[in-house]
Amino acid sequence: MTKVYGSPAAAGRDERPTGREVEETRGAVNDLTFLVPAGKICVLVGPSGCGKTTSLKMVNRLIEPTSGEILIDGVGVTTRDISDLRRQIGYVIQQVGLFPHLTIGENVAVVPRLLGWPEARQRERADELLALVGLDPSRHRQRYPSQLSGGERQRVGVARALAADPPLMLMDEPFGAVDPIVRERLQNEFLRLQRGLAKTILFVTHDIDEAIKMGDLVAVMQDGGRLAQFGSPDQILANPASDFVARFVGADRGLKRLSLARVADLSLLSPVTARPGDDSADARARVAADPLASGYLLLVDDEDRPIGWIGDHDLPATGPLATELAVPMSPLLEPETTVKDALSMLLDADVQAGIAIDNDGRVLGLVTVEGIGDLMREGDRVARSQRTPAPGAGGHR
Amino acid sequence: MDVISQTIAWLTDQAHWQGSDGIPIRLLEHIELSVAAVLLAVLIGLPLGLAVGHTGRGGAIVMTISNLGRAIPSLAIIIACVPLGLGFRATLVALVLLAIPPIVTNAYAGIREVDRDLLEAARGMGLGGRQVLLRVEVPAGLPVILAGIRTSAVQVVATATLGAIVAGGGLGRYIVDGFALRDSPRIVAGAVLVAGLAILTELAFALLERVAVSPGLRLERRAGQGLEASEARQPA
Amino acid sequence: MIDVGWIAGHLGTIGGSAWEHVVLTVVAVGVGFAISLVLGLLASRLRWTYGPITAVTGLMYTIPSLALFAILVPYTGFSLLTAEIGLVSYTLLIITRNIVVGVDGVAPEIREAAAAMGLTRRQQLLRVELPLAVPVIMAGVRVATVTTIGLVTVTALIGQGGLGQQILLGYQLQFPTRFFVGVVGSVILAVGADLGLLRLQRWLTPWERAKVG
Repeated sequence: MTKVYGSPAAAGRDERPTGREVEETRGAVNDLTFLVPAGKICVLVGPSGCGKTTSLKMVNRLIEPTSGEILIDGVGVTTRDISDLRRQIGYVIQQVGLFPHLTIGENVAVVPRLLGWPEARQRERADELLALVGLDPSRHRQRYPSQLSGGERQRVGVARALAADPPLMLMDEPFGAVDPIVRERLQNEFLRLQRGLAKTILFVTHDIDEAIKMGDLVAVMQDGGRLAQFGSPDQILANPASDFVARFVGADRGLKRLSLARVADLSLLSPVTARPGDDSADARARVAADPLASGYLLLVDDEDRPIGWIGDHDLPATGPLATELAVPMSPLLEPETTVKDALSMLLDADVQAGIAIDNDGRVLGLVTVEGIGDLMREGDRVARSQRTPAPGAGGHR
Repeated sequence: MDVISQTIAWLTDQAHWQGSDGIPIRLLEHIELSVAAVLLAVLIGLPLGLAVGHTGRGGAIVMTISNLGRAIPSLAIIIACVPLGLGFRATLVALVLLAIPPIVTNAYAGIREVDRDLLEAARGMGLGGRQVLLRVEVPAGLPVILAGIRTSAVQVVATATLGAIVAGGGLGRYIVDGFALRDSPRIVAGAVLVAGLAILTELAFALLERVAVSPGLRLERRAGQGLEASEARQPA
Repeated sequence: MIDVGWIAGHLGTIGGSAWEHVVLTVVAVGVGFAISLVLGLLASRLRWTYGPITAVTGLMYTIPSLALFAILVPYTGFSLLTAEIGLVSYTLLIITRNIVVGVDGVAPEIREAAAAMGLTRRQQLLRVELPLAVPVIMAGVRVATVTTIGLVTVTALIGQGGLGQQILLGYQLQFPTRFFVGVVGSVILAVGADLGLLRLQRWLTPWERAKVG
């Protein structure tokens, strides 16, 4: 069975890839076969030492497979020239590995330079990508990696991998070296990026939560490089194929399924809003008429970005609304934030509602704990109807 | 080749093993000189280096003087000591002066390099100043300290050769006299003897290091640093 | 004691000695560097050669310089060649070792990234590993240069010597001024070379400067 990338129509069948690591006498990877459709993120997840990184490195031949085949769009990787192959595959690792002696701009342009792009085009592309990953080119292109923070370096790493617009990307715990807050932000941004780029991505992590959040498809691996289960995150959570998978996923898999949904999937409630300077009497009237009967008003700025809540008891009878009256109490939830994280934030903040915002920070609506509960119930219904294990796509043979 | 066989002939000639210019005498002179110089240098330099390393004061001055000392050619130092009287004494003083810098530098560096955490732990356990020095700093810094003495010793053996220029003795005599007399076998024989002695000294210290330094430390250092200024010796 | 008048009157001679000294040094370090580069790259690529290479260059380093020159004299005479062969030998251990350690010292994730981006082995070496090894290599070159400047004085005994000639003549002619000129000159050259090379190193590694800033 084979790892195949490209359109599903190009699927092939063959023996198993077995990689050998120098120290071990058994194969590090023994029985691994699956198909990754183009434009999807496939996550390899499993405990330490299960061979997931080895498998990843076989794709760009940093480790040479000793048997079996890895096909990209139907072409075996071992048949291609190794440097050629690698220039068409983006590679991002945990420690990033930026070249300290090159500027950020030069780092990003490494592969374009190898491919012989004209200098102007190299520079253009580097700037384009830096902006794409959220770094201001004019500020950063001349700097050196040692001058950047961990999160910034990781972004440059992603930019560098994308520079030559490779169809395939390999990522090995890319967000592992940063703190959880930065990690979450990077994950969200990456997912956003992927929506625009639709690259085929093979992603390795040991964190099942990350796998579920990031993956369109998940390959759970166990010791000895064996595939334990292959399927969508929901399938893995709803129908673990073995005890191992069930244990690995964790006893809280019901809750984990909450991570599959994102804030963007929730139905949002509409708060009563007002701008600073609006008439207070009018605002009081609207709060009183609010179908949600929350007793609160959300103050927003000219761009519709939230400033804070004002309770009806704090609203003056007349006059313009002042910014100082507003108290920011609710967590702000981006569309990519998982419902699980959103629930967690709501519980933490001990408020009734979180504010869903778009990528520019504008208010979209409110998220409540009840709303999340409704989604869970709905999801359970759907999953129960799918309880019979699905044939095809995944599982090991 | 002719020179080689001539040299072998010279070395195996019985006559060259007797008398005041014989190999045993010259060898002994050379060794005496070297040992004396190294011992004196250790007596002077080691306490100095350890003290400065332990207290951390005066480090910059000591290092600067040491480094400056290296820049001065050994030949010059030997000649400069001539006013003290030709022969053995001049050479000895010069050699001691040459031998001190590597010992001091390395003793200082070895002590400084000791892990701060280790020292804190030692003090935390109640070890006083001198005990910390003797029981922790020196053993931990031993590889570097020994390397300094080794560097020094080999340098001394090498430079003692030059002593012959100022009418000193030792194996250098053969080389210098050989130059004067254009006596190739003598030149090469002397060179071979000196080289042999230097290599033996190097090996002896390598053995000493193996014996004296704890295996745990040796494995750490195996990672090998580039030759830093403190470790480089002047070939002389 | 120092005859300043003599110095003033013999600037040409002194300059000549100094120049000779510089030439001897530059040639020795230059050739030594070239050979070390080959040896160093060989040693880092074919690991098993590192041991033998270190042993041989180490051996040459241990042999006292006068002895080394002495062994060469019957073959190459009291000549510039003899001096240079000896001087070059002394640079090999230090520079080779520093090249190997410098290249080895490149962090594994950087090597991995370089390979994964599709740089050929040669490109990895030339564009990534060697540039990053520059600080360590230059440290070795500096030590080798200062050492060589010192050793050049010994070559005075085989008829070369640069400023070493002045030292020797000072002794032989009982003329302290010449001796003094020779010593001070050598020291100035040594210190100057060290600082100059340090400058060069800084210039070659702009990214190191960025770190402090």
